[in-house]
Amino acid sequence: MLTVAVAVVFGLASATPLLVRAFGRNAGYLGAAVLAGTGGWLAVAGGPVLAGEAVVSRFDWVAAAGLSVALRMDALGLLFALIVLGIGAIVLAYAARYFAAGDVRIGRYLTLLTAFAGAMLGLVLADDVLLLFVFWELTSVTSFFLIGGLGEGRQGALRAFLTTALGGLALLGAAVLLSVVTGTSSLTEILSSAPALADAGVTPVIIVLLLLAAGTKSAQLPFHFWLPGAMVAPTPVSTYLHAATMVKAGIYLLLRFTPLFAGNAGWQLPLVLGGLATAVFGAVVALRRTDLKALLAYSTVSQLGLLVGLIGIGTPLAIAAAALHTLAHALFKATLFMTVGIVDHETGTRDLRELGGLRRTLPTTALAAGLAALSMSGLPPLLGFVSKEEAFASFVELGDPAWLGATAGLLAVLASIGTFAYSARFYLRTFEGPERTHPHAAPIGFVAPALVTAAAGLGLGLVVPRLDALVNAVSRDVTGTSADLHLALWHGLELPLVMSFVVVAVGGTLVSLRERVERGQALFRGPSGERAFDRTYAAVLAFGARIGRSASSDAPPAYLLPVVAVVLVVGVGLTSRLDLGALGDPAPWLASDWAVVVLLAACIAGVVQARSRLAAVATLGLTGFTVAGWFVLLGAPDLALTQLLVETLTMALVVVVFRRLPTSFARGGRPRKVTAGVIAVGVGTVAGLATYAFTGRRGISEVGQRFLNEGEGLTGGSNVVNTILVDFRALDTLGEITVVVAAATAIVALVRFSEERAVPPPDGSADVDGIERWDGIGMIDSPILRTANLFLAPLMIVVSLWLLVRGHDAVGGGFIGGLTAGATVVLLYFSRGHQRIWQSRWLRALLFTGGGLLIALAYGLGGLVLTGTFLDGAKLVLPFGLEVAGSLMFDIGVYGVVIGMVVAILRHLGQGIVEEPPNPERTGLGARRDGEIVAPQAVTTPSGPATELRP
Amino acid sequence: MTAAIIVGMLAAGGTYLILQRGIVRMALGFVLLGHAATTLLVASGGVARRAVPFIGAEGDLADPLPQAFALTAIVISFGITAFLLTLAFHGRDVLGHDDVEASVDEVPPIDRDAQEGGR
Repeated sequence: MLTVAVAVVFGLASATPLLVRAFGRNAGYLGAAVLAGTGGWLAVAGGPVLAGEAVVSRFDWVAAAGLSVALRMDALGLLFALIVLGIGAIVLAYAARYFAAGDVRIGRYLTLLTAFAGAMLGLVLADDVLLLFVFWELTSVTSFFLIGGLGEGRQGALRAFLTTALGGLALLGAAVLLSVVTGTSSLTEILSSAPALADAGVTPVIIVLLLLAAGTKSAQLPFHFWLPGAMVAPTPVSTYLHAATMVKAGIYLLLRFTPLFAGNAGWQLPLVLGGLATAVFGAVVALRRTDLKALLAYSTVSQLGLLVGLIGIGTPLAIAAAALHTLAHALFKATLFMTVGIVDHETGTRDLRELGGLRRTLPTTALAAGLAALSMSGLPPLLGFVSKEEAFASFVELGDPAWLGATAGLLAVLASIGTFAYSARFYLRTFEGPERTHPHAAPIGFVAPALVTAAAGLGLGLVVPRLDALVNAVSRDVTGTSADLHLALWHGLELPLVMSFVVVAVGGTLVSLRERVERGQALFRGPSGERAFDRTYAAVLAFGARIGRSASSDAPPAYLLPVVAVVLVVGVGLTSRLDLGALGDPAPWLASDWAVVVLLAACIAGVVQARSRLAAVATLGLTGFTVAGWFVLLGAPDLALTQLLVETLTMALVVVVFRRLPTSFARGGRPRKVTAGVIAVGVGTVAGLATYAFTGRRGISEVGQRFLNEGEGLTGGSNVVNTILVDFRALDTLGEITVVVAAATAIVALVRFSEERAVPPPDGSADVDGIERWDGIGMIDSPILRTANLFLAPLMIVVSLWLLVRGHDAVGGGFIGGLTAGATVVLLYFSRGHQRIWQSRWLRALLFTGGGLLIALAYGLGGLVLTGTFLDGAKLVLPFGLEVAGSLMFDIGVYGVVIGMVVAILRHLGQGIVEEPPNPERTGLGARRDGEIVAPQAVTTPSGPATELRP
Repeated sequence: MTAAIIVGMLAAGGTYLILQRGIVRMALGFVLLGHAATTLLVASGGVARRAVPFIGAEGDLADPLPQAFALTAIVISFGITAFLLTLAFHGRDVLGHDDVEASVDEVPPIDRDAQEGGR
């Protein structure tokens, strides 16, 4: 059931963009109905929860890691789930009128708000610490996007995100430690293993981490600064995240883990003192803020501090009071934020100094705000009064240690005085006094959500005994003992009521002297958490940059050097200590080998020394051909053929690409040459010595011998290399062609989807100027070549297919066949030009690579279905008595992938540079695009720098 | 010994080139290193047995397994070369040159924000 509830909310989030498209901003009402319905369902189904029976649902997620989506709802979970869904519904309804009809932002914000609701719901229902962490982070991420909005609030969003992310890391650390100590990640089981934790040495670390997590999320000193900074978000976001729910996640976390650490001084003292210090600090700062949202933000900081202090006290009464105050705060703070949104919307400002007298134009808004402000300042008969009374009671009742209770009570009274004063200031300065603006009246639909929450605060205050069951159940879930509280507006003349009188009296005085108070406050400046944050952040970035510079991707030699040097040192160190005699006889050689050695030495020297790209390409090609010759000598014809074809294609590729690069290479200085030379010689020596020492000193490998002996019987193929590729080690090959597909896709993506588009799209939507420039590029304008292509191309395709089919028994196979077919495409490119390939409908890189990969996969899955083994080949008997190895299908896939790679290169790299188009009369291109070919405007030499690639 | 010399020369040439400026020369270096890797793979099967490893062939058949490894290695290094050259190509379009060391001295955007925020 719980899983369904969470899934419904996330499902709603993913459907929201469609709903917004269909219903515009009214989609917010639909979303509100769904959230309210889900909340009602949980409330009804959650009845047994109040009697102490938790609702549980789970399904396995990553079984191997012991992870499951385990959800559990006890009374604490129910309370928070109702707040999340209830306020969520209100906020979505509010957002439906906050944004103007047709505002492009509405879809984005509604979706993110709903997704946030889902994350928050998951967070309060999670019964697995790792799952709890996942949802915790999800709330941070969604809140980042909600605050960041459309770029106006990036700085605030960043601060909020990084601060809460720090807490997220702390939570992860705590979750991992808890799992390790208790041997389970289940929250229920962890919470029932308090004795095991009491003995563990890491308990203080866990406490610190949890306090850090809760303190950052719930904006406690000294991490409070992100919350006011996050007020750049639109008001619905502030209402939901920064008043009612996200900041309460820290409160939830502390309540959740209270059973483990209650009574531990390292848990209690920081919470009580830190929390109430935050409460006083927030109240004092809120008193001097003139921006209404900032005032409310600091007020939230203050109220959260009070809650943290209550949790620190930890008695059943305190926990019950915290639960009640969480609810009360969610209601009155949400109302206040919504009224600020209305005021801002109708007057264009939310600065206290410019506002006043709005009660006359916005009577309903003033009513909602007035009720909420009364609740916040703790006056009867509102819910805020009851919760504040209970809070005072739990402070003064704390007997052990008594000094702590007294201190806490004193701090709470101070904070409440501030609260009273800023609540009055908020209401009086906005809605009473002389009118300074010319506001519009607010439509009732806009105000209604705020009226609902305000009325709830009043109504619940009047029927407050109805909440007994819930808060008592929460206190029992958290502390094990029910607070047995009987909530009422009138408890008789007791100490808490006296404290309330003091608060009202002093607070009232402050209000009446507010001019003087504000002047006095201006003299006093608190520390700026933001500045400290920014300084730390900049320092961290600078540190990271210093570390990162050594591996900077814009200076490869700098980071390759240490790697190469380590290989060198380790290699020399290991080889020098070897007893070569023990390894067996060195590999023999033939006289003909030396021809390869000499040729190769010359070629490599040529590549290394080449100053111009042409010389480099030519010698590089020769190197490849020489290597192919070496393979022939070693009895590896498949390898030699592959090498030859790849070398040919590499040459073509380099020729194609190099036309756009400088004719000569940048020269390095002498020191670089010397260093590189020394390192290169060292690496070469080590590589050579290692090859000499470690290879060729034994007979054929066991596996190799087995393939030779049994290969034909098992696969029906006599080309053992090919059977290894497509039968014995087909999974390897599948991985390798996937790499090729990835490389081809990367090429397409880099060129095609780059902003710097060099090629017009094939549909001809680009301007005429662009098209004419690309016509005929990459063509060798030769009738001989064209004629040759006409006859050779079909022949080459036939040959490539023949190589493909015979691969199982003779030299050939998918790789070789594919490369041959690729060579055909290259020939087409040179004889007919890039345009011919670009405009072709079926010469598409992704068609071939993707198709090939799919064929190979289909073959693998076919084996899985037919024989139960992935990639299991079988002999197929065709009509006319022909026999074909099933793995031919796999080879066809390989064939397609290789062709796709070549096509990717030619299509997307082959468009070349601005040059004079070939004569249309001679190439026959003119017939297709007659009359359109005009002399290009910018003509540069093919080898010159590409001065003007784009219009 | 010949196999060792061939691997050593290719590795030295490749290393020298990847330590140069300019992504094109680096790409050439990677091609040479790719050759070094494939020749090393083949050498690991031994160079004493040199008959073509086909069933039914005469003589000392070569070890087919390293050959299969080397074959796919060749194709993959082709893909990687193509990708490196695409980067060169792209760099040329965006930066106007392919000299990776002479490029970007840019502060990432997040950095700039922090500096502004600090003010």
